[in-house]
Amino acid sequence: MRSLQSKLSSGLILSLITVFGVLWFVISFSIQSLAEEYIASRLRHDAEMLLSNLHFDTAGKMSLDEGAIDLVYLKPFSGHYFLIASGKQTISSRSLWDQQLNIAGVNINESTRSYQDGPNKQSLLVIGNGFKKQDRKLSVIVAEDLNPVKQNISQFQTRFAISAISMLILLVVLQALILRHSLKSLVRLRSELRALQHGEIDQLNTDTPTELQPLVSEVNHLLSIMANQLHRSRDALSDLAHAIKKPLTVMQQLTDKHRSDISADIQDAFAKQATEINRLTERILRRARLAGHHHSGMRFSFSQDLPDLIGTLDLMYSDKAITKHINVDEEIKHLVDREDMLELLGNLLDNAYKWARHTVDIRIKDDSGLNICIEDDGPGADPNKLQQLDRRGVRLDETKQGHGIGLAIASDMVREYKGSLSFGRSEKLGGFRVDITLPAVTDRF
Amino acid sequence: MRLLLAEDDEELVAGLRKELAAAGYAVDVTDNGVEAEFLGNEAIYDVAVLDLGLPGRNGLDVLKNWRSKGNTLPVIVLTARNAWHERVEGFKMGADDYLGKPFHVEELLVRLTALLHRSRQQPGGVLTVCGLILDEERQTVSTTDGHEHRLTGTEFRLLRYMLLHPGKVLSKSQLTEHIYDLDSDKDSNVIEVYIRRLRHLLGNERIETRRGQGYVFKEN
Repeated sequence: MRSLQSKLSSGLILSLITVFGVLWFVISFSIQSLAEEYIASRLRHDAEMLLSNLHFDTAGKMSLDEGAIDLVYLKPFSGHYFLIASGKQTISSRSLWDQQLNIAGVNINESTRSYQDGPNKQSLLVIGNGFKKQDRKLSVIVAEDLNPVKQNISQFQTRFAISAISMLILLVVLQALILRHSLKSLVRLRSELRALQHGEIDQLNTDTPTELQPLVSEVNHLLSIMANQLHRSRDALSDLAHAIKKPLTVMQQLTDKHRSDISADIQDAFAKQATEINRLTERILRRARLAGHHHSGMRFSFSQDLPDLIGTLDLMYSDKAITKHINVDEEIKHLVDREDMLELLGNLLDNAYKWARHTVDIRIKDDSGLNICIEDDGPGADPNKLQQLDRRGVRLDETKQGHGIGLAIASDMVREYKGSLSFGRSEKLGGFRVDITLPAVTDRF
Repeated sequence: MRLLLAEDDEELVAGLRKELAAAGYAVDVTDNGVEAEFLGNEAIYDVAVLDLGLPGRNGLDVLKNWRSKGNTLPVIVLTARNAWHERVEGFKMGADDYLGKPFHVEELLVRLTALLHRSRQQPGGVLTVCGLILDEERQTVSTTDGHEHRLTGTEFRLLRYMLLHPGKVLSKSQLTEHIYDLDSDKDSNVIEVYIRRLRHLLGNERIETRRGQGYVFKEN
């Protein structure tokens, strides 16, 4: 879809050009015909004036009383001419000098109009009138040069065109400004939608024109429903976890206590099942808790939440004195849900801390997606078993609890974010290395 | 060591209480957050095990209120919601350790010991003070001559408390407070009997009597 602004602009420019063009033609044509009509009627008056000063003597000779004739007809090539013809006699105006008007005779009481080239490249409007005087038929032909009028008209046309074009430009600029102003709220809405997508805001601004009000409030409504649903399902899952874990804890406690009363096989089987239930609930619940790309509010802050998380791990592993090399880009624009990111980094770092001998290396980069690399100097993992790691939460070493489940949860989360995750041996520290890439959020607006 | 157990699951508490007592802790139990906060401020506890899902007042709020009042009671947080954001939140509020449910009692005991040592600036592992080695798991003490002595429950509690507070004057009532829980019969004269027994095991010079004040476990 083309943008509203360009659509409206081009539509308006086209209609303005049409209106001004038509106006220009209509006005030019009307002025030309008005001027001609005016000249023609003046010429008819001149013809009648000539007729009234024309006499036939008894011999039938035609004579004109020159004293009564307008001076313009006497001045050579003045642009005003006449020719009177009756039978074979003709009288032409002195202004014609040696030139002739070629004209056919005109019937009595008729009037003709024609155009001719006159002397000095004049273009003449020729009006012929047929009269009858003293029982003689005569034609009075009067002509006037149209060039001065035409010049005036073309001058007018040029002026009209210039002012029309400047008006057009002015209007187009003006309407662009008006459009931009009125579309400003749409532009703002668009940038807000982008911010929403990036998770910088969680509601749209409701201060919008009335036309957009329903859209904005509907979007906000949907957003809050989504957020509420997420919260509710998270709460429900959390409660479920609580509910399942309690009896599980008691069961575990009971088997621990009555160790001597129960045979070793049953104890083993029981412990195995209990652990399995725990592992399954843990993983399913955590997976369900992932916010993914839904907006739930809080965003992970690399400058605040990451140090908090590392502080937590330091406390948890306070007996180990792990040296950390933390290399995090100063400005990370990539936004991830806080709880999701804490879950992801928490599980991976917990794993690294658990296995590391002395050092854990953390690198987080933000270039076209979020790249996380965590390495440790622990024993690493058997390459043959690496493949299985993320699939079912296979534990590589049963003595340290929850190795596999952490990575499996991380893997679930990365999948949810459509990212990639790979395990391997750390070249730098010799232990376990995990690489994660979360793709950048692409702008949809 | 006097331990405050704030947990609302009766069955879990019933089992846990016995195990903790067997491990030499004087345990007081509360099943709601408001009481937990009040008791925690009593300054008679050496450590608290705090469940986050307490009725009345959320465990995190209890912890926050303790810390805002300057209460440095070592706290192990217990929770069924093993979420990392909750863990981070707990540590930010001032938790010292964290245990997700379900857990083995052994793990809790190991963490409790480690936390107590840490809070008294003692290294982790076996508690060793002035050549005396206290095995907290087996409740035995090895003296400098290499002999290992089994301790009775009260002897163990008393010795552990003294070893974790060496060089400090400990009054009879203070010792009673940290060795017995709320429900026990407290008779501070009994302390004298146990002190005598400890002296018999460790040598008279180890525990000094300060008349009218109490006892001091002497560092070399």
